[in-house]
Order: sequence, then structure tokens, then C-alpha cells
Amino acid sequence: MKSNDLMQKWNGYVEQAKENWNDPRNMLVRKKKFQTVAMTILRTVLLFGLCFVILFPTIQQLSMALRAPEDVNNPAVIWIPENWSLMNLRIAAVVLDYGKAAVNTFRLSAISMLLQLASTALAGYAFSRLKFKGSNILFLLVILTIVIPPQALSLAQYFYFRNLDLLGNEASIYLMSGLGMGIRSGIFIYIFRQFFRGLPKELEESAIIDGAGVFRTFWSVMLPNARGALVTVGLFAFVWQWNDAYYVKIFEVSTVEFPLLTMRLINAAEGMYQALFYTGGLDLIGQDVWENPLFLALISNVAALLMMLPLLIMYLFVQKQFVESIERTGIVG
Amino acid sequence: MDDSARNITTPPKRRFEIPYKTSKIIWGVIFLMPWMIGFVTLFAWPLFESLRYSFYELTPTAGEITEEFIGFGNYIFAFNEHVTSNSSFQVELINTTVDALINLPVLLIFSLFIAVMLNMKFRGRAVVRAIFFIPVILNSAAVTTALGGGDAIAALLEEQGIEQIFDLEFYLVQTGMTPILIGFIVGLIDRIYAILSLAGVPILLFLASIQSVPKHLYEAAKIEGATGYETFWLITLPNVSPHIVTVTVYALVDTFLTSSVSNIISGELNRQNWGLSSAMAWVYVSTIIGILALLAVLAKSFKIGGSHYEE
Repeated sequence: MKSNDLMQKWNGYVEQAKENWNDPRNMLVRKKKFQTVAMTILRTVLLFGLCFVILFPTIQQLSMALRAPEDVNNPAVIWIPENWSLMNLRIAAVVLDYGKAAVNTFRLSAISMLLQLASTALAGYAFSRLKFKGSNILFLLVILTIVIPPQALSLAQYFYFRNLDLLGNEASIYLMSGLGMGIRSGIFIYIFRQFFRGLPKELEESAIIDGAGVFRTFWSVMLPNARGALVTVGLFAFVWQWNDAYYVKIFEVSTVEFPLLTMRLINAAEGMYQALFYTGGLDLIGQDVWENPLFLALISNVAALLMMLPLLIMYLFVQKQFVESIERTGIVG
Repeated sequence: MDDSARNITTPPKRRFEIPYKTSKIIWGVIFLMPWMIGFVTLFAWPLFESLRYSFYELTPTAGEITEEFIGFGNYIFAFNEHVTSNSSFQVELINTTVDALINLPVLLIFSLFIAVMLNMKFRGRAVVRAIFFIPVILNSAAVTTALGGGDAIAALLEEQGIEQIFDLEFYLVQTGMTPILIGFIVGLIDRIYAILSLAGVPILLFLASIQSVPKHLYEAAKIEGATGYETFWLITLPNVSPHIVTVTVYALVDTFLTSSVSNIISGELNRQNWGLSSAMAWVYVSTIIGILALLAVLAKSFKIGGSHYEE
């Protein structure tokens, strides 16, 4: 009697649970939940994998760089160096003339970045907000500057700078950047134009009512609002100038007195033994080590790491602003 | 009292007052001045000059450059006779064009996919985003040369029977995997890294354009019960499509800029074969413009790029 009662109660629960389970609303919720979980797992695996692929070479280089030169082809050492040593870094720094070259490259990149920012922001603003007859046609020419490769131009530019006696002088790079014809300036103009176009018209109108002139409106109202575009363009301008080996080579900017990282690195990689010999890097280690070709390749790798290191450190600091700048406003209006 | 109020609202007229519209035009011209000067002196003139050079044989002699008109000689040479140590201009041009046309859709789909993913809300998004733009920063010809170890070192290593040591392969072999699996993993990772380093800016552009899609569209779709899949096809994609054109142009130019064709041209330039390199550069320019024109026609016929939200 009592057990029968319990049975009935139990069956009631089962019935209700079944009903709950089969309720279309609950089914939908369940489906949604399942989808979310599946999506999260898929996304995590994929993004984690890709992040690993991106970070792997750098981590590997770091591990390579920090082991003792004698351990280059020690099969026992895979990730964690057995004998920690800064010797590889020291040799690579000597080969690159690191102190001087890094400062020079930084100076070149920073000044060129500022000039690029100035010229492209002005042009972008004019193309989006200060339109006049024919400015759309001029903008088509900007697209043309993006499409035409530098190889088609650099010969004539080379003769040009030779006549101006600017070869072997960093001023040639500054002139290019300041006149909006630097490395991929066309894209920067495009980004600025899209960005300024996306800013609300009310900003401009209220500035006019408050009595601001055109330049004042640009300088104190529009530009502070364009921080996102400024960060993005600034980062790219700096990085591309830092990594540039093309213009620097054509205009012979890198000299003994004014070494630049990219050119030193390329020269060193193409003749590591000679580079070690001339810079005195050979004196730092024994003959049994430098006769090993693996060691030469290792130094070339470490030198590449040294060149990228300042950029990586800088990116660590700017990264938050950079990512936020995409988040907050969107470059593409 | 009435008078003073009027004085405040309408200040006394200055004699040479420029209307706002006119001053806008004047400032527009001033703002564009640096770019226009740069365009004429550093772009238009060099471009014209290089077209002229491409019909000449230029030889540097002491302090002077002698020019000799040879018609289409440089072009004919570039196509029929030019060879490098292991390839030729003609072969590389065709390879690069085919590669670009095959890789372009892959690159577009991949970067749009990643951009959609990076746009979702999940923990650690900021970190993942920051990591995804690292390849853009480290993408440099100098670093690539150094990582390849330079020709001299590569030759030395080959002599000793060692090919690539600073490689994933090396570690995988040590873990005792089967060679087929290792080959697959290494190939995949190599390609992914190559695509990622090209995809940085496209991802950025797509991410920005997804951000600019009006939020209320997504809300409405959610209320109507659209799935994520439908939301993507019906809302994200149509709104992003105007920017597909931008990304395509960028990706195409970028692919060509980092291709072997562009290396050959730079090489000839450095070897002071100036006329030849100009001719090659013009072939290269016309190839890019040709592809772009083709894509423009395609985009027009498939109605990609027009958006009902623009303007």
C-alpha cells in the first residue's frame, strides 16, 4: 500500500521530468546551451592553437639564445637551456653594433613616424571633411599610390636624391615621409579618411558655433577624437620603418657612422663568418665553437631576435591602446 | 537694453571676413599641400621617368649616365631571356600571379573568420587579440633572411647533410613521431604562419568593419531567434562586404610586394640593370592593375561592395 503510493509518486516525477525534457522551450534552451558549449570549445582550441603557432618561433629563439654557445647541437637540450648563458646575445650584439644601430633605427623610425602621422592625418582630414571640387579625383590618385609598387619609382627617386645630394642621408627618408610618400602612406591616408568620415557632424558644427576656425576645429576637436586612428597608424608607421630594408638600401642610409639594424642584420646573415671576424666577435669564443656552422646559424637567429626585441617590448606597452582603438571606434567608418 | 543684446548676437562685421565655406576650401588645399607636392615630385614624375627608362639602356659611366634608346628591348629581354640562378622573371611572374589568385580567397575567408571569432566575447580576448597582431610586427624581410641563415650558411649546412635545424621538425623527430605525420604538421604550421603574417592587416580591417555594424541589427536578429550562422550570413557579411574590396586591394598588393617577382626587380635594380628593372616594374604594375580590373568586373557582376547602409 505504502510502496504503491511511493511508486505512484515516483512515476509522477518521471512523467513530469519527461514532460520537462520534451517541452519545446526547454529543448530549445538545451540546444542553445549545447551550441554555446561546442562553439566555446571549438573557438578555444582553434585560437589557442593559432596563438601557439604565432608564439612558437619567438619562444624557441629565446630558448636558443639563452643557452651556452657550446650547446648549439647538444641533443639533450630541447627547451630549457642546460647551461644558461648570455654569450650568444653578446656576440650577436657585437655583430649588429647593437647599441648604436638600435638608437639610430629608433630615431629614424620615430621621426619618420611623426612626419607620416602629420602628412597623412592632414591629407586624410582634407579628403573627408574639407572637400573641394576635384578632391575625389585626387583621392583616386591616393589609391594609385597604394597600388603602384615602390620598385617602379625608386630608380627615379634615387637619381632625384642623388642630385639633391641626399644619398646616404637619413633626410631622404624624412622627406618621403613628410610629403606623404613614405612606406605605405597611401593606406594611412585611407585609414584617416575613413576615420574622420565616421566622426559625427555635430562635433564640427558645435565647434563652428563656438567660433573655432577650420584649423582650430581640426586641431582641438577632431584630432583628439581620432586617437584610435593615430595609435593604429603610428604603430604601423613605426614598425614598418623599423623593419624596412628596401628604401634604406636604395638610398644607402645605413653607413658605418649611421648603422641601422635591418641592414646590419642582412649583411651579417649573408656573411656571418666575416661579420664575426671584423667585429671581433670571434675573440669571445673558442675555435671549436665558431668552426661549427650551426653556431653561425644560431648567431644569425639571435641577431634577428635582438632586432625584433625592442618592437616586441614596445608592443607590450602599446598593445592595450591598440586593441582598444579597434574596439572603441572602428577605423572603417 | 534691446541694443546691447543685439550687439552680442551679431558682432560688428570685419572688413575682410572670409565665409566659412571658402575658408574650408582654402584649408583643404593647405592640408593637402604636402601630399600634393610629394605626389608630383616623388610619385608622378618618378613614375613617368621609369616608364621612359624602360625603353632605354642605361649605363653608368663616370659621373654620367648614358642613355640609349632600344625600344621594347628591355621588355623582350625580361620575358624571353632573363634568368636568375634558379628561376626566371617569366616563371616567377606566372607563379606569383597564380599563387596570388589562389591565396586571395583563402586569405579573405580566413581573415574574416578570425575577425568574427576575435569579435566574440570570451575570456582572455584582449590577450588573444594582442597575440594575433604579433606577426604583423615581426614580418620583415631582414628577419626572414636572418632566419634562413643566409645563403652561405645554408650551403655550409647542406654540405654537412644538415638541412634545417632551427625548426619544429627537429623537435618532432626527437619525440619519435612517424615522418609522415611530422611532414604534415610542419607543412601545416609553416603555411599557417605565412598566412597569418599576411592576414594581420586584413583581420584588423575586418574587425574594425564588424565593429561598425549597427548593434541594433544584431539585437533584432536575436529577438527574431536567428542562429549565429544566420546572423553571420544575413547581417555580418552584407555589412562587411563593402570593405572586402579594400581588403582585397590591400592583400593583393601585399602579396605582390613580398613575392619573388619584387625580389627579382630589386635585385636587377641593385645590379644597376636600370632599364631592365624599370621594364620589369612596369610589367608588374600592369599585372596588378590587370588583376584589379578583373576583380572589379567580378565584384560588379556579383554586386559585392555595394551596401544599402552606405550614405
